[in-house]
Amino acid sequence: MLPGLGAKLTALLWVHCVPLPRHQQMSIHHAELEMPPGRAPLPESERHKLAILRERLQPLRERAGSTIEALYAAQDVFSYVPPEAIVMVAEELSLPESQVFGVVTFYTMFSLEPQPPHLLRVCRDLSCHLAGAQNLIATLEDALGVRHGHTSPDGQFKVEVVSCLGLCDKQPAMLVNLEQHGPVKDTEVPALLDGLRKSAS
Amino acid sequence: MDLVVTKNFGSPQSWTIQSYRESGGYQALESVLSNLSPEDVSELIKESKLTGRGGAFFPTGLKWEFVRKDPKTPRYVVVNADESEPGTYVNRLSLELDPHMTLEGMIIAAYAAQAEHGYFYIRGEYGLSHERVKAAIKEAYDAGYLGEHILGNDHFHFDVEFRRGAGAYIVGEETALFNSLEGKRGNPRFKPPFPTNVGVWGMPTAINNVETLAAVPAILTNGAEWFQELGRGEATGTKMYCLSGNVVNPIAVELPLGTTARELIFEHGGGMPEGRMLKGFKPGGASSAPLTADQLDAPLEPKSMGELGTIMGTGGVVVFDETTCMVDVAYRDALFFEEESCGFCIPCREGTPNLVQICERIMHGQGTMDELALLEELGASMMASFCGLGQFAHQPVRGAATRFRAEFEAHIRDHHCEAGTCPIPNGNGRAA
Repeated sequence: MLPGLGAKLTALLWVHCVPLPRHQQMSIHHAELEMPPGRAPLPESERHKLAILRERLQPLRERAGSTIEALYAAQDVFSYVPPEAIVMVAEELSLPESQVFGVVTFYTMFSLEPQPPHLLRVCRDLSCHLAGAQNLIATLEDALGVRHGHTSPDGQFKVEVVSCLGLCDKQPAMLVNLEQHGPVKDTEVPALLDGLRKSAS
Repeated sequence: MDLVVTKNFGSPQSWTIQSYRESGGYQALESVLSNLSPEDVSELIKESKLTGRGGAFFPTGLKWEFVRKDPKTPRYVVVNADESEPGTYVNRLSLELDPHMTLEGMIIAAYAAQAEHGYFYIRGEYGLSHERVKAAIKEAYDAGYLGEHILGNDHFHFDVEFRRGAGAYIVGEETALFNSLEGKRGNPRFKPPFPTNVGVWGMPTAINNVETLAAVPAILTNGAEWFQELGRGEATGTKMYCLSGNVVNPIAVELPLGTTARELIFEHGGGMPEGRMLKGFKPGGASSAPLTADQLDAPLEPKSMGELGTIMGTGGVVVFDETTCMVDVAYRDALFFEEESCGFCIPCREGTPNLVQICERIMHGQGTMDELALLEELGASMMASFCGLGQFAHQPVRGAATRFRAEFEAHIRDHHCEAGTCPIPNGNGRAA
């Protein structure tokens, strides 16, 4: 044995394992971190709602695996999942932010962009397609004056073309938020949209 | 014929515990807890030959036995209500109209598998089902069917948690559903180990489809033999079939397992719209390869569908008439799988867009005959996919190209779409 090797090893371990003194640790509050570009951060006027979200996340802390429920809560509060909410969900549920972000982007019902009050999800799959889903989508686009995937100029509607909604007995079918509609005839579209406009005001 | 899973659908307020009890609900659970051991229950279900109604048709009693025999605890029971197969809506109706029946089946499953915890996982889009199932779980707790010492039994405790998805077809795959329950991306896991040994949270898990569990209380009440005899031919029990596409009445109906598509479409679905001819049909959702009109008399059950080179699947029958182009049908299925592929493994992530592109070229009159051979080759490589999604995604496209070969060749050789829906330039299609 080389003399003093034991002591050197101990010193090495010491250097690598002992935590930094408290004042040298990173002490940035996570929600204050700057967000990467390309995502929609919360406008200043909405920031006070972060406290509401934190409140709603408390009961979920005890429930293992409630990432999806937490993100639904965020979407409830903000209409979408802003980066600040991802950070907060990660904090409250003790998960890596990357995992929370991964969950948001995996499931189609979560949005990283602000959503209008009326989300029209139109099924494009086989049965609804045979029953004229293409026409329904075109009619909705014409009536709203905007392509699917975009919010209408009045900020009230967005048409999303989605996979089978399990409403094939109502072909062609769509969901208005989570409310089932179908079979939706092209001629019924204007009245349907008017009804929704009135319900909002 | 005796109805099993749809018998209460017509009752007023059929989704409440009061209505369910009036039709004899929860009596099976009471008699199980006072008369039968967990072993007796799984034996009886095995004897009834009840198999997984989600499309895999695995013997249910055997699954519960595997879970019970695994010494790891806690064990779990999961209800798979992530019904997302195009053309299928039977579970939605069960959850909306009779959630207690599935819940009772779930509690009996927990007893047979000796499980302590349960998850009721419903896809995110089924808003009404969420409300009804949440209410049903609460009612069951209040009535003492859930919680500690169920119905005074000293050794049986079972808790159920309601969970919802957020839009992902792949989560219907059992191991992907476990990941989703654990709050992760819904990517599938490698099998083996199977869920019966390593399921949610790494623990033994009995995961069953809604319709499977809904059949359980009636089997315990009426006996294994009664259920067996409900089937037609060698098939046992009933199946909720549902119709959509070019048919007069797109409805769901419970019939003996092994009913023919002809009977389903023409006796229960009101047949074809006036003046239309049936050209083909899909026996069970998007994953199943389409069949032709002369295969209408084959029984809709797993074995005979397998012999015809397709699958029984979910029982979601989609009907096509002569106004439907089979290339378009194949294209729609390919689009669906491209959208829903989780991107985790290469054969599926790269294969599904290739299927879409081949269909698009044929639809636009740019296809070549080589492409049909390429389709076979692509299918063979997609069999190397990690989970069932990729292994099945090419079947409907290849199946359509094989059984409706003339139609595909007409698009390629003659730039002719018989149905007139394809955008073939200078052909007789829409763009012409």
